[in-house]
Amino acid sequence: MSLSRSRTSCVIVGTATALAVLTACGGSGEDSANKPAGPVTITFWGWAKGSKDVVDAFNASHTDIQVKFEEIPSGTAGGYAKISNAVKAGNAPDLVSIEYSSLPEFVSSGALQDIGDQFTEADRAKLLPQSVELTTLGGKSWAVPFDAAPQAFFYRKDLFAKYKVQAPATWDEFRKAAEQVKKADAKARIATFFPDDPTTFEAMAWQAGAQWFKAQNDTWKIDTTDAATTKVATYWQGLLDDGLVHKNASFSPEWTGSLKNGTTIGYLGASWGAGVLKGTLPEQSGKWAVAPMPSWDGKPASGMLGGTSFAVTKDSKQKAAAVTFAEWMSTTEEGVKARIASGTSSAFPAAAALRPVAKKAFDASYYGGQDIYALFEASGASINPNWAWGPTTGTTNTTIKDHFGKITQGGPGIKEAVKAGHDATVAELTKRGLKVEG
Amino acid sequence: MKARTRAAAILLTPFFVLFTAVMVVPIGYAVWLSLFTEKQSGLGFGGTETVFTGLDNYTAALGDRAFREGFGVLLGYCLLYIPLLLVGALGLALLLDSALARARRFFQLALFLPHAVPGIIAALIWVYLYTPQLSPVVQAMEAGGIGFDFFSPEGALPSVVNIALWEWLGYNMVIFYAALQAIDRSVLEAATVDGAGAWRIAFSIKVPLVKASLAMVGLFTVIGSLQLFTEPLILNKGTGSAVTSTWTPNMYAYTAAFDRNDYGLAAAASVLLALTAALLSFAVTRLTGRKGKRA
Repeated sequence: MSLSRSRTSCVIVGTATALAVLTACGGSGEDSANKPAGPVTITFWGWAKGSKDVVDAFNASHTDIQVKFEEIPSGTAGGYAKISNAVKAGNAPDLVSIEYSSLPEFVSSGALQDIGDQFTEADRAKLLPQSVELTTLGGKSWAVPFDAAPQAFFYRKDLFAKYKVQAPATWDEFRKAAEQVKKADAKARIATFFPDDPTTFEAMAWQAGAQWFKAQNDTWKIDTTDAATTKVATYWQGLLDDGLVHKNASFSPEWTGSLKNGTTIGYLGASWGAGVLKGTLPEQSGKWAVAPMPSWDGKPASGMLGGTSFAVTKDSKQKAAAVTFAEWMSTTEEGVKARIASGTSSAFPAAAALRPVAKKAFDASYYGGQDIYALFEASGASINPNWAWGPTTGTTNTTIKDHFGKITQGGPGIKEAVKAGHDATVAELTKRGLKVEG
Repeated sequence: MKARTRAAAILLTPFFVLFTAVMVVPIGYAVWLSLFTEKQSGLGFGGTETVFTGLDNYTAALGDRAFREGFGVLLGYCLLYIPLLLVGALGLALLLDSALARARRFFQLALFLPHAVPGIIAALIWVYLYTPQLSPVVQAMEAGGIGFDFFSPEGALPSVVNIALWEWLGYNMVIFYAALQAIDRSVLEAATVDGAGAWRIAFSIKVPLVKASLAMVGLFTVIGSLQLFTEPLILNKGTGSAVTSTWTPNMYAYTAAFDRNDYGLAAAASVLLALTAALLSFAVTRLTGRKGKRA
């Protein structure tokens, strides 16, 4: 057989594989319903920090339900694709982690089941209303919220002091601080614009009062270019044009490297970022501090960046057990403690009663003993309640991400990217047969 | 006669069983999928209904600028990649074949080695080498006064071409080298006797004699390029580069299925791509077949 021949068959097989991926037919779920005796086993997919520890703690303290945990890549890094594939193929796990932003998409594609009968009104009342709101769609309850993810600004307090910069309270001050940092050290920047991550930008638009997706009666009103978003886009375009922030992919080796060598001295993230920084840069312990997100008028304001909920897939026969486990993770002291004590999670629980537990379990010496949970608490209360996610987050975010990658000096910018996201969203909703205005 | 037919049937059965299971059935299913769209009503939270929409997914794919631009990217890729690949691989093969080359076996192996590295690993290595602040290559270039952003809109295509070249140059060099080795040595000796130098022999004797494999490699590379997926996908994920999620038609299908949950559109895009590949394959077979007869 000639080498060239093998290449042609490669091409043909390759094409067939591409087709086969789409048709991926899988076996049926392992857990069968006809097993009355012995513990019920459920499968759980997730990627949040500390998940393994939580599952271990649950299995150790429960005999009736046993959980099999499988770690998957984070949602937008391929986790969501894996989940929707598995659902399509009929071999999905019982319980999956889904961020609030993607929940409507999974609900509308019919991948999940309504858990309202198990996850009752009384359970929901224990949780942050903004989080419950984000998991209640079309009047039904679709997921157990785990954390709220209020925004926060993490900064190197040693370098801020060295450069004589104050933690900014407003976006105007943030820009001034950015200029000061650049002046003090030509290579250092106050923060990073993440071209690969539209959700950080969305959280900032959310904070500014934007409402991209509005459900009115049976019509979606889409507006990703409202005044608040335009304000945020113009502001960030200015920072980029003047070279006041770095432009690196989020959590990339490049970003981490710049944090390590002190050329990036701040991070606009959310509550869970406290654990991420601690895990990524253990050698910088004691050098970091957390400040509330800068706001436009100086009053506390926050969007939500990420935030996980647990949802039961449509074919799961173990809904009751899955919801029991999800609630245990979200609303019991043991569940929250097990996660935070793993050391890498700084999740801010949606359950108000458990925040003291989380605070106690989180070793804040990395932040010089700062009471970061009090800060998250204040920030969490200021989360703008008007934001809702639409059922096309995949399309919206992928489109914006594609255009963020093309941002160049003098070329298309953030505003154009957001506009492209708008148009793609409207087109997608229309294609699905939904009523759209926008 | 009967026994022979039976033997043929037995020997061919495994092929046809596998061919049906991994080719015909998936393609058939993809075609079937491409005729349906999941429609929703109200705000979309009431679940989906699969509706027969005929060729709508095909018109949607063809009407989508992103899908058409994907073919444009492929064209640009081929125009840049194929000449470099052919010239590079043939040049290396000629060097190896010339009397000058020492340690032939070593170079043959060393040049072929990158091909043994899976595409995804190669892409990851190159992404590292493209990343400013991390990459020794970029730093060396900057020190030499060359500022080139491998992730910029202008840099994206050369970046991918470079990875592909690294992977395929050695492989194709081996093909050319084998073809060169097959040349009748007496022809070369005759040329030497007639007073031809090494350059003259290379360009007037060797290259014309391996023209057929040159054409083959070129055409197969065109078809292989249609499958461009892994390398740009790695550049798309986690680098914030200008390589979009729909950069090539294959990536378009992937994104449609897994980011947008639109399996119908993904299937239609895949079928269109497969058709293009089939047409090109047909053209290739015709072309090379005719050439064989003439020779």
